[in-house]
Amino acid sequence: MYTTDLIRRSGRSLASAKTRTLLTAIAIAVGTFALTLTLGASNGVQSYVKKIIANNFDPAELIVTADSGLINKTDTTKPQEYDSSFGSLTTAAGATVQVKKLTDADLLRLSQLPGVQRVRPAVSVALQYVTRPGMRKYVGTLTAYSSSQKPDLAAGTLGDDVPAGSIILPDGFLSSLGFSSAQAAIGQTVTIAVQPAFDQTSLQSAFASGGTAALSQLATPATTLQTYKIAAVSKTSTFSQPGTSLYLYASLAETQKLSDLTTKGTSSYRRYLTAFVKAADGTNPKKLDAVQTEVKALGYGAQSVADTEAFLTQIITILQGIVVAFGIIAVVASLFGIINTMYISVLQRTREIGLMKALGMRKRDINSLFRMEAALIGFLGGILGAGAAVLLGLVLNPWISNKLGLGGDPLLIFNYLQIALLVAALMIVATLAGLLPARKASRLNPIDALRTE
Amino acid sequence: MISLSAISKVYGKKDTAFTALSDISFEVPAGSTLAVIGKSGSGKSTLMHIMSGLDRPTSGTIKIDDVELFNMKPKAMDAFRAGTMSFIFQAFFVEANQSCYQNVMLPLEIGQVPRRKRKSLVMNALKAVELDDKAGVLAGNLSGGQKQRLAIARAIVNQPKILFADEPTGNLDSTTGEKIMQLLFNLNKDLGCTLVLVTHDHELAARCQHQITIKDGHIESIVDRRAARKAQA
Repeated sequence: MYTTDLIRRSGRSLASAKTRTLLTAIAIAVGTFALTLTLGASNGVQSYVKKIIANNFDPAELIVTADSGLINKTDTTKPQEYDSSFGSLTTAAGATVQVKKLTDADLLRLSQLPGVQRVRPAVSVALQYVTRPGMRKYVGTLTAYSSSQKPDLAAGTLGDDVPAGSIILPDGFLSSLGFSSAQAAIGQTVTIAVQPAFDQTSLQSAFASGGTAALSQLATPATTLQTYKIAAVSKTSTFSQPGTSLYLYASLAETQKLSDLTTKGTSSYRRYLTAFVKAADGTNPKKLDAVQTEVKALGYGAQSVADTEAFLTQIITILQGIVVAFGIIAVVASLFGIINTMYISVLQRTREIGLMKALGMRKRDINSLFRMEAALIGFLGGILGAGAAVLLGLVLNPWISNKLGLGGDPLLIFNYLQIALLVAALMIVATLAGLLPARKASRLNPIDALRTE
Repeated sequence: MISLSAISKVYGKKDTAFTALSDISFEVPAGSTLAVIGKSGSGKSTLMHIMSGLDRPTSGTIKIDDVELFNMKPKAMDAFRAGTMSFIFQAFFVEANQSCYQNVMLPLEIGQVPRRKRKSLVMNALKAVELDDKAGVLAGNLSGGQKQRLAIARAIVNQPKILFADEPTGNLDSTTGEKIMQLLFNLNKDLGCTLVLVTHDHELAARCQHQITIKDGHIESIVDRRAARKAQA
């Protein structure tokens, strides 16, 4: 028989037992529904993570730490030997740990590696406060601007760097600092207050000359006020790193100056937790890998954007694996439904099979007739389940994005090629489920099948 | 021409062996009519199954137009049977949830008849049994006589050389049965196909050119009406 004739016959036979066909297909649809939604969520999360990374990291850069343990796990149960590059770091859990930090010597060493285009330390300053005349004082953080992570601007224009004496103000500060709009803030000034560090050497000389009175005056260091012009206003992005949406940006030199002021004389002076090492032509993974290998060979920790992405998606991948496993279990369970349905179908059509055999239909054709019937049930179940998932996704996407604060970004992204492959896979396993019943049908003895009693 | 020589069929082995047919030999010329008569359990159905290649004889050979039936490989045998023979059964065996058209189409699909030729073949077959106006009707909605006519249309659609009819009137009242028999004899004349009629009805059998009576697996009598008529003349 021609394949099209076989398909049409199996389709008709399914259509003549609508309820049975539909119920069997729905069993498969349940598993398919879960699988389609999981795939959709996986696509969505991956795209979201990619966007976050693209907005916050330069793919040509490596994040380098002096302490390779920050990136590559080290044994924290054994004490580490001290050198002068150690500095303290408070973890999110509140523990203070001693970690090795990068020094200017380290930065120089990194910048001299072959294939390295530029090295820039990650510098940020905890400001005492930010304010304008007549406004309240607000806490803030100033960070060095990098042209490779340009923030979206609400107003103003920027070249490759923030001009000296200027800053970028995040739009979250606008109303608090009394600006009516982003545009109105451009060219205006803000006052930033920093507190110079408690300097040990001046402490000793003060004690020698002025006694305790001079000492107590030194112990409450004077606040240094700096005035900056607002060069641009940055937009709050759903894709910025958590907690960084209120960061103020200034040029690296400017930030470094303030940082020096607040850390001079302390163990944090010119110590950097991380630095960004930009590889020449680093968007080429081979060149980036080469630089990463060199940096690691010097004993530094080095992480590329791809590493960060893998780290961020790892937990999500595990959770998805669990859901996918349950989906597959549901599909496997429904396969027994197909086997059962197909056996009933063979039993009900014993005479038809006998007649077809009597009329000279080949064993192989009868076999394919029933396997195709099973495949069609798989197809129907796949389309039903995937269709329901896509419909639900399209309806719920705006609501989910709103609840999760993803902005306009959908959580569920359906890839139709992926769904087609899923349905094709279902048809294949359904065909496998149909193998035994189809074998039974093809082996039926036509004489027994046609007995009238 | 169908020729059987020394056909035997034994079921079971040794002690429990049961001889269904023993040493059956006869010839039927192409285009003639043959009645296989016998009571139930006489072996007439087994004989029909063997003649049509559905069942293998324990010993003996069958030649259909000089082709030895049981020398073929299964695939070739299926193709040969699809192109050569057809069946009509007492219980019709039409597919109730398919239309008349689809029922008649089955042998053409099995025989891989090119698609463009199918429609006219199906409609001609339906016309021959006067069911052409019911082509789109579900077979389940037909009366008994119509169902058997549909089965006949299905049997003749691929223009077989041999038509096996197993008690074709067994489930019908006598008037309808008579009409069906008339139709079968007419088709035999018009299409020139050999009609093998399996029946226990002697009256019906008497209308066939050849009559073979089977009793307990043996041939009890063979009648060749044409030869008898010639002898009389």
